[in-house]
Amino acid sequence: MADFSAAVYQNEFLPDGGTDVHAIVTIECSGAGTAGQTGSGAAGEIIIIDTSGSMGQSAMAAAKHAAQAAVNEIVDGTYFAVISGNGAAFLAYPLVNSGPAMVPMSDATRAEAIDAISRLRSGGGTEISTWLDMAGVLFTSVPQVIQRHAILLTDGENNEPDQVLDEAIARATGYYQCDCRGVGVDWKVEEIRRIAQALLGTVDIIPSEAQMAAEFEAMMQKSMARGVADAQLRVWTPQGAQILFVRQVSPTVEDLTSRRTAVNDLTGAYPTGAWADESRDYHVAIRLAAKDVGQEQLAARVQLAIGEEVKAQGLVKAKWSDDSELTTRIDQQVAHYTGQTELAEAIQEGLAAKAAGNEELATTKLGRAVQLAKETGNDEATSKLRKVVDIDDEDAGTVRLKKSVEKADEMALDTASTKTTRVRK
Amino acid sequence: MTPDAPAATPTLTASEANPLDEVSPISAVTVRPGDRPAVEADRAPCLQCGGVVDDDGYCTQCGTKAPSPRDHFEEQPAPWVAGVCDRGIRHTRNEDAMALAVDGERAVLVVCDGVSNCVDSDVASLAAAKAALDVLRPPLPKGLGVPESVAAAVTKVFTDAAAAGNKAVLETVHDDVPNPPSCTFVAAVLEGTTVHYCGIGDSRVYLLPDAGGGQILTVDDSMAQVLIMGGTPRAEAEASKQAHSITKWLGKDSPDVVPRVGQVEVTGPGWLLACSDGLWNYASEPDALQAQLQAAGSSEPHAIATHLVAFANKSGGQDNITVALARVGQRPVEEVSTSSTSDSSTVGNNAAPDGGESHG
Repeated sequence: MADFSAAVYQNEFLPDGGTDVHAIVTIECSGAGTAGQTGSGAAGEIIIIDTSGSMGQSAMAAAKHAAQAAVNEIVDGTYFAVISGNGAAFLAYPLVNSGPAMVPMSDATRAEAIDAISRLRSGGGTEISTWLDMAGVLFTSVPQVIQRHAILLTDGENNEPDQVLDEAIARATGYYQCDCRGVGVDWKVEEIRRIAQALLGTVDIIPSEAQMAAEFEAMMQKSMARGVADAQLRVWTPQGAQILFVRQVSPTVEDLTSRRTAVNDLTGAYPTGAWADESRDYHVAIRLAAKDVGQEQLAARVQLAIGEEVKAQGLVKAKWSDDSELTTRIDQQVAHYTGQTELAEAIQEGLAAKAAGNEELATTKLGRAVQLAKETGNDEATSKLRKVVDIDDEDAGTVRLKKSVEKADEMALDTASTKTTRVRK
Repeated sequence: MTPDAPAATPTLTASEANPLDEVSPISAVTVRPGDRPAVEADRAPCLQCGGVVDDDGYCTQCGTKAPSPRDHFEEQPAPWVAGVCDRGIRHTRNEDAMALAVDGERAVLVVCDGVSNCVDSDVASLAAAKAALDVLRPPLPKGLGVPESVAAAVTKVFTDAAAAGNKAVLETVHDDVPNPPSCTFVAAVLEGTTVHYCGIGDSRVYLLPDAGGGQILTVDDSMAQVLIMGGTPRAEAEASKQAHSITKWLGKDSPDVVPRVGQVEVTGPGWLLACSDGLWNYASEPDALQAQLQAAGSSEPHAIATHLVAFANKSGGQDNITVALARVGQRPVEEVSTSSTSDSSTVGNNAAPDGGESHG
């Protein structure tokens, strides 16, 4: 059985009249076990491969190889299926016309699936909404599967109105999780990130075909290590308090604020998906009515719950003090993640401005990103930024946009923008 | 009291356990897995909103921290004697203490105020108050009958009580504590129409008749008092910078623990009040306190003590507040003392804490 623990990092002291409490809550999971093997229910994996006409011969070969590598990582007993997607979605494996559309993994089904994947051909357009919907239908056909995860590979822009895709995303949200990967440079980061964020997954670029199999293998291994099928972050706040935001800030920045569902009048639940043995950080900001100096109160109870069972709880406190030495400190974790969140925004806004031809704004935003990456010790962001801008002064954030930039580098910067580092050791 | 040290900074014990904290010294883990719940079972409802208090020690509705039994306690050993001891608003713990006893027509009020920049002063002050009360429980000696010998015998008892309090303070602390705990000490013993009293530090005993002028019976051992002796008006002296530095106290580094002793005859109905500076900071002159007794609108000591504490909190609650009251001269009509011996029975939810184990 998995164990969860919670630790709270904050400066609980507020000045006279102070109202806003910030805290980083670290939730750590251990003993998670393996997906579908903990007795709480079966796990299901769906591999979605883009087989649109834009996938050239070598890309198609690499994608098939990657899908086969992923199939090899699926633990025996896990229900699985393979979808081939272009202008519509096709069930590539298992080859059934009715009844359960996912089969448990075994030596036999693994061999069948690998064979089925090898027969895929490319052609047609890219309508991702149909892929997402089919994945939902497949999961529905095996009700014993309670942990639902998909891997989606695409190489091109979606040929549907935004609204059509968004509606499909909404149908999938809260039902299954999906990690997304783009191959090549013809897909749109923003589009695929929308899917991944809503479906509690990751998004990344696979710059070269050769890296595809390794990436798929790794993604599937990670998914198989998630022995906790689903958990919620619960936040209790006192009567009259206002939640300013709830964000996951590590390993990536994901704003959860709008994804609250009410547990009761004072408690809201935020989705966190499945858990492996891992640690995640959440930034919680609460606004309270100020109390007299010397008073203490609880600003939030931050809990990790599986079903109705609370597995771990962290207390976020507020103590009003007139000692400015106490009240003016900013907790280092809070400061760090505040910077990392701004870094993600600066990168995304800078790249958007650049794409829109607003070089001045792009220069300012990416300059700020360089500065924040330095301040918060995010070396990965710094090295990715270096491929897009020439840095004159890292501390001051003075940069020039590079004359010619590899599209893949820009996309890599974009997809990695939400990745955070922990406090520098 | 001596000027307050800044509120104690949280102990950063997290550094051994979490490597992150080595580089984030202000980032303290406030809750760890396996931490004991902050309060025991049988919790009283939230004082703020009446909501249920959770195992974690905070209200499930408004989040207010439930006071520990040490933060706020009340005693009423007889219908005509009551006391309230409260953390106040600005301090993070209650270092005041009181101990009351009634035996027939006899009442004993003891108040101690822990010095706020010392270690464990909350434990020390409560231990001192209880130890001193035990010495003052038996009737005071009558000596050989002549006033001088009575005075000498009573002085000896009060000196013993102070010594017992001092011993109790010393016993709460290890030798190597850099800032050993200390506290003030006042005691008032009402026997018939005579009030015997003594004091060390700046807690006070007042006699406040229903009609006519009241008086401060004790003389503070404080810098303010030094100024007053030198001719500075009381209000000005008590507002001066060093006013709250005390010149005598109970505790390890005390120069002298012999209290100043006195006695006074009660001539009419009124109240005997023992209190800490958390109260008299906001009403030092007897007439100001008499006005608050009036404002309480009650003849019942527990209600009046509660009112006086609320008054001090409303005025800022800068320090811990202790109010102990005994009716003198005449019992309120509705109350007839029946029991011959009664000890400190408790009032309300907060029983007197024992030994200070429950603090913090």
